[in-house]
Amino acid sequence: MLSWITFFPLIAMAVILLLPRNRPELVKWTAVVGATVPLILGVFLFFSFDRSSSAIQFAERASWIAPFNIEYYMGIDGLSVPMVLLTVMLSLICVVASWNIKTGVKGYFAMFMMLETSMLGVFCALDFFLFFVFWEAMLLPMYFLIGIWGGANKVYAAIKFFLYTLAGSVLMLLAMVGFYFYGGETFDLIKLAATSPFAGQSISLFGWSFAMDKLFWLGLFIGFAIKVPVWPFHTWLPWAHVEAPTAVSVILAGVLLKMGTYGILRMNYGILPEATIWAANGMMILGVINILYGAFCALAQTDLKKLVAYSSVSHMGYVLLGMASFTTAGLNGAVLQMFNHGISSAMLFLLVGVIYDRAHHRWIVKPDGSRGFGGIAAVVPVYTGVFAVALFSALGLPGLNGFISEALVFLGAFSVPKYQGYVIVGSIGIVLGAAYLLWMFMRVFLGPLNEEYKDLQDMTWREKGCLAPLLILCVVLGVYPKPVLDLMGQTVAKLLTLFS
Amino acid sequence: MAENIFENLRLIGPELCLVFVLLGLFLSDAIFPSTKKNWFPMILTAVGCLVGAVLTCKLHTGEPTRFFADTVASDGFAAFFRYLFFFTAVVGLYIAYGSKEIKKDERMDFALLLVCVTFGMNLTAIASHLLVLYLGIETISIVSFVMAGFRRNSLKSNEASFKYLIFGALSSGIMLYGLSLLYGFTGSLYYHEIGAFLASRSGDVPVLLNVAMVMIYAGLAFKISAFPMHFWTPDVYEGAPTPVATFFSVGPKAAGFAALMRITLDLFAFKFGEGQWQAVEGVGLVQSLAILAAVTMTVGNLSAIGQNNVKRMLAYSSIAHVGYLLMGLVSLNSFGIEAVLFYFIAYCTMNLGAFWVVSTVKDMTGEESIEAFRGLGWTMPVLGVCMAVFLFSLAGIPLFSGFVGKFLLFGAVVKTPGFLWLALVGIINSVVSLFYYVKILKSMWLDKPDTHTNEAALVLPTGHSIGLVALAVPTVVLGLFFGPALVFIRQVMATFLN
Repeated sequence: MLSWITFFPLIAMAVILLLPRNRPELVKWTAVVGATVPLILGVFLFFSFDRSSSAIQFAERASWIAPFNIEYYMGIDGLSVPMVLLTVMLSLICVVASWNIKTGVKGYFAMFMMLETSMLGVFCALDFFLFFVFWEAMLLPMYFLIGIWGGANKVYAAIKFFLYTLAGSVLMLLAMVGFYFYGGETFDLIKLAATSPFAGQSISLFGWSFAMDKLFWLGLFIGFAIKVPVWPFHTWLPWAHVEAPTAVSVILAGVLLKMGTYGILRMNYGILPEATIWAANGMMILGVINILYGAFCALAQTDLKKLVAYSSVSHMGYVLLGMASFTTAGLNGAVLQMFNHGISSAMLFLLVGVIYDRAHHRWIVKPDGSRGFGGIAAVVPVYTGVFAVALFSALGLPGLNGFISEALVFLGAFSVPKYQGYVIVGSIGIVLGAAYLLWMFMRVFLGPLNEEYKDLQDMTWREKGCLAPLLILCVVLGVYPKPVLDLMGQTVAKLLTLFS
Repeated sequence: MAENIFENLRLIGPELCLVFVLLGLFLSDAIFPSTKKNWFPMILTAVGCLVGAVLTCKLHTGEPTRFFADTVASDGFAAFFRYLFFFTAVVGLYIAYGSKEIKKDERMDFALLLVCVTFGMNLTAIASHLLVLYLGIETISIVSFVMAGFRRNSLKSNEASFKYLIFGALSSGIMLYGLSLLYGFTGSLYYHEIGAFLASRSGDVPVLLNVAMVMIYAGLAFKISAFPMHFWTPDVYEGAPTPVATFFSVGPKAAGFAALMRITLDLFAFKFGEGQWQAVEGVGLVQSLAILAAVTMTVGNLSAIGQNNVKRMLAYSSIAHVGYLLMGLVSLNSFGIEAVLFYFIAYCTMNLGAFWVVSTVKDMTGEESIEAFRGLGWTMPVLGVCMAVFLFSLAGIPLFSGFVGKFLLFGAVVKTPGFLWLALVGIINSVVSLFYYVKILKSMWLDKPDTHTNEAALVLPTGHSIGLVALAVPTVVLGLFFGPALVFIRQVMATFLN
């Protein structure tokens, strides 16, 4: 089952590569099929997942590389299910949103299918080696998708993304090797989590002796933090998000960033709980910095896409904040925030893409100081409406999904007395978030109409189709988040027992 | 000691096979001059190598033993390198056949030289006597000088040959001096006798032994192009015809490494447990190797960044890879040695492939600069995809065999207490290396093709496509299913003669 979800897009990729180059429509429809089947299976997964259990479900395991006890071990629990659902949903939406790709259609969709496989693989893999292979396999399509189909500075953005992520993952590689040799010669993440074999061991580096679990913790954390991205490792993000084609930005913000926090929860939290407690204060501080730094940067942006990109930095800070609190509300909020941010940032990037397709620029204020857009609410009412919902979801308006998760995160963190100061500082981020989003909305959509855009076309059916499911989820989860919270509840509770 | 000459001949069979190929090539050149130009040398070499591999196959399962008065060894380790050399020789010759840099009527000469070097490489890998080792290394070196200067009318090729000669003569002189010092101290030229003697001294060794060790390693460092004996590499690779550089970057390097490993494990270390060695007391072996590894990879990678000539860049990258390989030796256990052997399998396919692509591009565009690669991914997708596979593998990205190699090498280092710093240096180097590998890929896939280049000239010949894919497929397969290869290597190492 999980293998089918994960590898079906790879089959589609193989088919795409065999199709003739002069049949772009056929290629696109194959990609749609390649993304639809995992979605259908994902829906099935959603209904058949046992919410009352924190155990690994749908497990599949087979020996892969026997001399190293490397297994092909796939399975999901409450942490991975929301992420798998998010991935299969956004992937299909992104395939549809990529319909107007003109050059190298075959290559684009083949790469996209490979990307989907590797993303799903990361969330399903329970063997560290397998996880790592999927994690890195993601870089290859990403590099080409940004580098070939991206915007003006695509080459720089692609290499920056690649180098940053690789730098993180080689640290992870060292930790992985260390896990193997000092943790009982296994890559099985569940087994490692059950035994936690590193506490008390030490290892020497440059002549100093370090506590092994803390060193591994740091290696893993930096690897994942680059992906999240946690300040100060965030500088690849504005470039990659802005230069990537729309659909890839959506995947980046919607899924890839979550891999970082997912990895921290799976590895750092699950396997190295003592070191996590040791580092919680630091994570809290980094979370607060992320929230404020991202928000301040977003406030200064004149490029719509860059603004949304920095808002992602800010919003991932909430996830860190919730995670570091070690409370039920905080951790649930963090995982929910991962899911919700996947939806709202995907919507925002899709919407920015819509207007970019028409106006061929995204300036809120042009570099020469003149107005980029202005008052377009009058010409494109549907677009404005959808944009408003996405925006309010991002800034956490009650009734929409973002509110629930942010409230849970703050509730959880505030309930820990020693973190109250951080929470108060962090909550300034909410005000700032409202400021940059509403100010942007005002400058782009409201006010007198910029005459240049009086003929702007409203959204097409394809674009509406892409956004409709996200819009519905935004509202439904805002009113009734129980379906998602139920999915992860047991697993989060079990994870928390490590920290009580 | 009465020895059975037939038994000895059986054990040296793979090398004899190469000698027969050499004789066959000579005779056919003299008697049938028309064979100069056609496929005969290729076919004869390929058949010879195949027969050699089959003979090796019969040997490597047998008992490890020394023969010819204990001067050469026959064990799994030797068998491994014989396979590697046979493979490299055949691929190297095939690449030369497809290249415009080797003219049609020079094919016979090229094949002769190549088989001769291969013989020297085999000898180096099986030697268990210092003079045989020296003989093997000189056979490689002297013929290599000729190969580097293969294009007689090219100034650069001549320069490469001359530089190689001077550097080679110097380093083999140093090495010979080191060998004589070692002989003076131990009174023996046999690996096992020297090793036993040094181990029995338990620390009571003169400082001069350290000098001898450094000198011997310096000579071998020249062959594997490790710091500080690496300076010839980029110049020689650049000046020599590209197929020659392709062959140099794998074959002689692996031979030098085989000798280095034998010397390290037989002479300067002794076995003290299953799959564990310990350095002889009184020589700073492990620390020196670790520093050598760290400096070599760093120098190689940092120098590669600034290169615009792809051949030079790959030359520096091959220096960096020597640094990674040396990490495997630092651990002094069978795990690290196995990692080195695996890395050689991976390195063989990916590096031959990458150099071959450069050779192909040079034939088509006449240039080796990064600009010459612009947009080639789109005009020749097979070439582009294969190059991407080779370069990602060289950079150590998962899915490809280069990653597995690095994973094993880093594993060996992390496992060895006190050398985590080396692993850190190694991973920083991997990230640095990605930067320049990706520069080539960027040019191939992300830049637009030159409009003024002749489109018709940019068609990849079928022979090249098949060959490149044949090298790319194992690079991917070994990256995902490396279990069987590891089992094979463990078998090979189980019969390591010590």
